[in-house]
Amino acid sequence: MAYAYLFKYIIIGDTGVGKSCLLLQFTDKRFQPVHDLTIGVEFGARMITIDGKQIKLQIWDTAGQESFRSITRSYYRGAAGALLVYDITRRDTFNHLTTWLEDARQHSNSNMVIMLIGNKSDLESRREVKKEEGEAFAREHGLVFMETSAKTASNVEEAFINTAKEIYEKIQEGVFDINNEANGIKIGPQHAATNSSLPGSQGAQQAGGGCC
Amino acid sequence: MSANESPTDPAAEQMVEQASATTPESPTEAPSDVSPDIAPTRKTRRRPEHKPPPADDPSPQEVSESKPESPKASNESAVLQGGWGYWGSWGKSLLSTATATVATVGQGISQVIEKAETTLGIPSPEELSAQAPQEENTDGGTAGAEGEAQDDTAMGGALGMLSSLSSVVQSTGKTVITGSLDALEFIGKKTMDVIAEGDPGFKKTKGLMIRPTTLSQVLREAKEREEQQTSEDLSSDVEKKAHYGMLFDEFQGLAHLEALESLSRESEIKVKSVLTSMSGGELAQLKADLEEVSEPFSLMEFEDDDDDTKEDSDGVEFAKELRDAMSRLQLSVTADKLTQARTNIHDRIADVKSATPVSTTEEDEKDEADEMAVPQHTPEDVHALAISSLAELTAKSIELFHKVAQVVLHNASGNAQISTGDQAKVLAQITIMLCKEISLLSKSFTCCLTTVGSNEKGEVLNPLITGVFLEASNSATYIQDAFQLLRTVLQLAHIQRTADFAQ
Repeated sequence: MAYAYLFKYIIIGDTGVGKSCLLLQFTDKRFQPVHDLTIGVEFGARMITIDGKQIKLQIWDTAGQESFRSITRSYYRGAAGALLVYDITRRDTFNHLTTWLEDARQHSNSNMVIMLIGNKSDLESRREVKKEEGEAFAREHGLVFMETSAKTASNVEEAFINTAKEIYEKIQEGVFDINNEANGIKIGPQHAATNSSLPGSQGAQQAGGGCC
Repeated sequence: MSANESPTDPAAEQMVEQASATTPESPTEAPSDVSPDIAPTRKTRRRPEHKPPPADDPSPQEVSESKPESPKASNESAVLQGGWGYWGSWGKSLLSTATATVATVGQGISQVIEKAETTLGIPSPEELSAQAPQEENTDGGTAGAEGEAQDDTAMGGALGMLSSLSSVVQSTGKTVITGSLDALEFIGKKTMDVIAEGDPGFKKTKGLMIRPTTLSQVLREAKEREEQQTSEDLSSDVEKKAHYGMLFDEFQGLAHLEALESLSRESEIKVKSVLTSMSGGELAQLKADLEEVSEPFSLMEFEDDDDDTKEDSDGVEFAKELRDAMSRLQLSVTADKLTQARTNIHDRIADVKSATPVSTTEEDEKDEADEMAVPQHTPEDVHALAISSLAELTAKSIELFHKVAQVVLHNASGNAQISTGDQAKVLAQITIMLCKEISLLSKSFTCCLTTVGSNEKGEVLNPLITGVFLEASNSATYIQDAFQLLRTVLQLAHIQRTADFAQ
């Protein structure tokens, strides 16, 4: 229940690439082949452990449909991490990545960690996008890359957790200002509790939490 | 209250401003002499050539004129009470104009309102368009500066007036406070500090005002406080179940609320930018339209006809009404999650009830075997269940509003036959339904508590019952506040729709 940090994630990408399925697999450890279209945004949350610290991931699963784009853009702000998802069996979803990336970069903070995900890796026979292509795109744009399968759960944990690790490292390096909630990071009560022995840290923490 | 007296009616604002500030051009008309029946004449005579000074340069005369009058304020505070009735329905813009009124305390608010009322007429488009640019200036930000500039001199009068206001604010309760928070902030923090020194009774209200302004912040802070408590007190594994804020977050209420807030905020920005890009009759028309959309948001009325005594403990009636209302919205949004949650809550209440022996003697013998199987519920269990149920229902309500907001914006160009204004009305009805349901639910839970805890002492049971009622009342407030967030969203949807028709 208590956590040291809370990271806000967004999941973006074309409709039908498996964003909601990835979330469901990660939060509930199950796969649902038939899924309603996401309206606007849905939410999920899960606790993970990094470096012995409890971290709560608050995940915003956005609608992929073009017509929702203007609405979902308003949700980008204040995300610490983004999962940019395409479908390895549909070349067009890969081709749209540049647009998604531009959108994400434009509407979020510059330090946001973006993980590129080629989903549906279980459908090897129908593959249209080579793994190397994904890797190349990621390298070119400075993203982390991974192929996953929401169906078999392959790499799903890793995708979410590696993104969190990346964010956590950035915090350690001081890249993220953790007192600015616009970065999508909040300090949790556990963090405050372990530090409460130090005088002053409590006050600073509260001041950080109070601002918006 | 008719439509032409409504909040954003330019004429209303204009008149309140005029009435509140005795302008330099008419020094002969001492504020107290102005009787309501003169006002219409002033309007017709003055409007064309009168260029009201921009709000950011409050004329010194104004202030000095009002100063000698200030002792009157306390005499008028009695009348003021009646005047407050208007605030609720007039909404924000009246309050923001009231800032100016407070600054020139010479005239009581009640008098001003009377005057404004009698002088309200439907202005011609020419008049409206002439006022438009001025309004842009007087709106919002500058009012704060004005208050700042004037509060030193107006303080003497403001003190008397505001202290009487404070008691009214406290008794009028949360609805007024939340609705008027923004506007009251204009009066200026500085003023508040000074007033609070001389008026301890005001402190409470002040405390409410300086709290974070967005609802999600309030809730998030509550949640964080609770998390802090629980993390410090790891042993109380059971107790943390009854923390409303944390539960509300777990049901994703906070996330939906934050998302709804950002939609509402962005809609507001867009609506404002559209308004600034317009002028003349077009602007007047749009303002009138937006006003119509806003109206259901300021006229929230809870009929106290006690029909909530009706038996709907299983929530079937509620589900049906809600479904009907949702279908009237024509938005392809269903309230299934919410009604499902309501049904589950009902089932849980039923479980508790069935596990509790109603009357002792005979049933004890008969159901002894059963009771061995079904664990007895403690009052703490029931309390935890109540709090969790309230948090869940509130979270689902806010989720519903968030969905509505998204779909309204998404489908703005869609084929809905219903006007945005009518959608607002339906949403207001839904809000009332939800709040009633919350109240109904709190009653069945406290009922349950009394039954389960019939052997407990009052000091054990009473705080639990109070806790349930408290969170129920908070829940209703959160739902109403979330509903308010839909106002700008619907306004933007209206603009989008109109634009689509035009094309």
